[in-house]
Amino acid sequence: MAKFITIGERLSTTAPAVNKAFTQRDPEPIIQRAKQQLDAGATYLDVNIGPAESDGEDLMKWAVQLLQSEFDNVPLALDTSNKKAIEAGISVYNRSKGKPIVNSADAAGRIENIDLAAANDAIVIALCNGEGIAKDNDERMGYCQMLLERGLEHGMEAEDLWFDPLFLVVKGMQDKQMQILECIKMFSDMGLNSTGGLSNNSNGMPKHIRPIMDSAMVAMAMMQGLTSAIVNPNDTRLMETIKSCDVLKNNTLYADSYLEI
Amino acid sequence: MPFTAKSGKFNASIKAVTIGTGDKAITIGGENVLPFYTFDAPIENAPKVGVEITDFGMENEPECIKKYYEGCTTLAEIAKKAASFEGVDFLCFRMEGGDPNGANKSTEELIAALKEVADAVDLPLVVSGSKNVEKDAELLTKAAEALQGKNAVILPAREENYKTVGAAAGLAYGQIVGAESSVDINLAKQLNVLLTQLGVNASNIAMNVGTATAGYGYEYVASTMQRVKAAALSQNDTQLQMPIITPVASETWGVKESITSEADIPEWGDQERRGVDMEVQTAAADLACGSNAVILKHPTSIATISKMIKELI
Amino acid sequence: MALKGLDIFKLSPKKNCKECGSPTCMAFSMKVAQGAVDISACPYFSEEAKAQLSEATAPPMKTVKVGTGSEEFSLGGETVLERHEKTFVSKTRYAAFVCNCMDAATIDAKLSQIPAVEYERISEKMYVEMIYVNYAADGQSDYVELVKKAAALGRTMVLGCTDVEVAKAALAVCKDSKPVLNGATPDNYEAMNQVAKEAGVVLGVSGANMNEIYDTVKALEAAGNKDLVIDTTGATIKETFANTVQLRRAAIKDGDRSCGYPSIVNLRKLAKGDMHLQSALAAVFTIKYGSIVVMEEVTYAEALPLFGLRQNIFTDPQKPMRVEPGIYPINGGDENSICLTTVDFALTYFLVSGELERSGVPCNLIISDAGGLSVLTAWAAGKLSSGTIEKFWKEQDIESKIKSRKLVIPGKVAVLKGEIEAKLPGWEIIIAPTEASQLVKFLKDM
Repeated sequence: MAKFITIGERLSTTAPAVNKAFTQRDPEPIIQRAKQQLDAGATYLDVNIGPAESDGEDLMKWAVQLLQSEFDNVPLALDTSNKKAIEAGISVYNRSKGKPIVNSADAAGRIENIDLAAANDAIVIALCNGEGIAKDNDERMGYCQMLLERGLEHGMEAEDLWFDPLFLVVKGMQDKQMQILECIKMFSDMGLNSTGGLSNNSNGMPKHIRPIMDSAMVAMAMMQGLTSAIVNPNDTRLMETIKSCDVLKNNTLYADSYLEI
Repeated sequence: MPFTAKSGKFNASIKAVTIGTGDKAITIGGENVLPFYTFDAPIENAPKVGVEITDFGMENEPECIKKYYEGCTTLAEIAKKAASFEGVDFLCFRMEGGDPNGANKSTEELIAALKEVADAVDLPLVVSGSKNVEKDAELLTKAAEALQGKNAVILPAREENYKTVGAAAGLAYGQIVGAESSVDINLAKQLNVLLTQLGVNASNIAMNVGTATAGYGYEYVASTMQRVKAAALSQNDTQLQMPIITPVASETWGVKESITSEADIPEWGDQERRGVDMEVQTAAADLACGSNAVILKHPTSIATISKMIKELI
Repeated sequence: MALKGLDIFKLSPKKNCKECGSPTCMAFSMKVAQGAVDISACPYFSEEAKAQLSEATAPPMKTVKVGTGSEEFSLGGETVLERHEKTFVSKTRYAAFVCNCMDAATIDAKLSQIPAVEYERISEKMYVEMIYVNYAADGQSDYVELVKKAAALGRTMVLGCTDVEVAKAALAVCKDSKPVLNGATPDNYEAMNQVAKEAGVVLGVSGANMNEIYDTVKALEAAGNKDLVIDTTGATIKETFANTVQLRRAAIKDGDRSCGYPSIVNLRKLAKGDMHLQSALAAVFTIKYGSIVVMEEVTYAEALPLFGLRQNIFTDPQKPMRVEPGIYPINGGDENSICLTTVDFALTYFLVSGELERSGVPCNLIISDAGGLSVLTAWAAGKLSSGTIEKFWKEQDIESKIKSRKLVIPGKVAVLKGEIEAKLPGWEIIIAPTEASQLVKFLKDM
């Protein structure tokens, strides 16, 4: 088995400092946050530029080139609802360290992002969701099939579709958590890759609780076969849990210093 | 319908490590395929073959090896002779006399011997210790100092003395550190982590992941080497991508199949042939499992393995 | 090989008709993969798709049986590429080479050499198990006579013969011993297949390159014969290695069933008389996928390392190798010689006995039943204690077999000294060094 893939989530317009840096094309804060995440062990970096309707193409190109030139062609997830911006980003993307990830497609309005990924030989995060939250796993797997078929029709390899069960918040949807975990097992049994915004589960919890909850979630999800997650790599507890689970799953060889590498 | 083989080329590769200086310098590692899988991708650096001599000269060697050194009286002459054997890429000097439980030779005496050998040949050098971790800490530090500028492999840095040996060989005197981990793959990885954390450049590390004679628990050696290569190549585990150097002769020339005389067991036949076959089969198995270099003793074994490598690469 | 749901889904009708009882084709595929539902529950799966699936679930490599009785061997049937993943199941078999191109004296010498090698190593009888009887059209001896002579040795044979009529004649005298007929080529495979089928023997396929071999295998499969082995020997060592590895990998990793047959590697053609090179290559092809390795000769020089290597490589990684408990006299040890004891873990036994031999001191190595564990593990598991030693002494009646009353125990279990002294009255218990490598000095100094 391959090692668990972490996608660092901290380059997002939802963070005011990042938003400002994106708007002003100020490299420093971007580079700083990217470096923090990579030093902490992130494999991919998510570049969330928001809807970016006016200057998305230019902004995504700028961000991709900035990050890849600064960090030895670090692989990136291009995260925006602006399709043209994603295409623009891929047009300047160097794939020597990994294919770009299109973040994301779903089974409703954003299904065409599958086609976009297929046309550009990219990975796509395929959110098993239609309109509103799926009522059960039959519905999720129905979306999964729809997205998978769409990808295969367009010539994608199944391994390049990373299925996202959509992690749900515990505070409010506690009774759905096992459903999500079972859904991951279904992806895994099918032989499919999976990912998701893991920390959704701890939304609204006190700050000191969230790393604990996220760590428990990632351990249980990895047991079910989750192959990747969009996470905050600077959450030490979470990253230590992921590294430990990688050892237990025999994804990587143990050495006494495994947490340091 | 033609046979279409899928390529087994990996996106990761073994680190290339250069030993020695000048024209005779050799490079091991660098490949991104399993041993001898040239059909997947070219292997630029063929595995290398070393010849081993010790500070005892010919004193403890079997007759069938002694005879190739006829007329050699000093270590310098022995080293020159060894270096002249067909197929030799590097020379390994093993200071076994340093063992406090054995001859317990002084560090000064052994370093003088090492210098004599180093001055006599222009081949890349591997220096091997006394098997005693405390003695080696001192002995190998001095050896690293004595060979400054030679870009030699200093073997072995072990769990107990890696700080001293690693700091001397890898940091102070710019040699290559040989990390030894006796068929413990987790320790193999850990030692590489520790050495790199110490500041040793990853491309100045080689590994001895364990050695055994064919038939003597060899399955542990085979699996350790194969798992190291699998982790290095298919999982891109950068802490296991160091090339592997395996001492063979010091193991195989100790087992009964190699040292029992024909007089003692007549049906076994000629002792020299047996000893050589034990050495070449073990070396061939090591290479097939992932060794990037093997250290042998008998000139026929060296020529045979060298020929086999040429045929396979 | 277990199928993933995805492989089944790709072949499914993708109608989501729910007639099978599952909400979607994907859910159905998943259940089939888990074995929860039979594929026949879907009325729309095409016959072709079902055939593909049953092909995909067949073992990746055929197990082929050759020889009869105690000389019957299984070849192939492997499921992994490296031994640490799962045990290799079918040992490499070594075949000594004879040919009708040799003169009578050479043939007799070669054949008499074969039974000369025979010994036991860790409960396994080691001997040259196969004979490769080669046919050369311009040979000076009669092939059928040679086959008869070779057959008399009772080893399983491989007939290397591409001449259909000669093969037929040879099989007429030896087919009951179930030899391999290594004779099918792109030119003769139809006729050769008939010969093999009629005689009921396994057929070996060779060709100038992998494409020829592959096509011939496909044609033979189409003709209904899957009792095959593939001669992967090419023009060079490099080519042979490539053929042998690529074939096995295509079978195990890529699931190409037409590659999933045992191999024959003919080192005589490759080593060209260099016996040490042959020895080295035999080791390489033992690790990398030789099922039958043909050698110009197998003397003790080749056999001692090779059979030991094979024993190691084909051992179950989950199960330690054990030696038979008992008294092992070393260096001519007799009833008056000092005794040493250790565990039955093969590696420990070899290390200790090797050092004892080096010491030259006559002694008795007494191996007790410790469950095949190493000294400290056995001690921790209660399989090496004063009690187990006392029990073993009684079972084996050691005191009547040995007069010496000096017993050396492993240094790592020095704590047992007092207890053993209590349980074996009259014995002087001596503590050995903790490492086997210190034994020589220890014994010499005693």
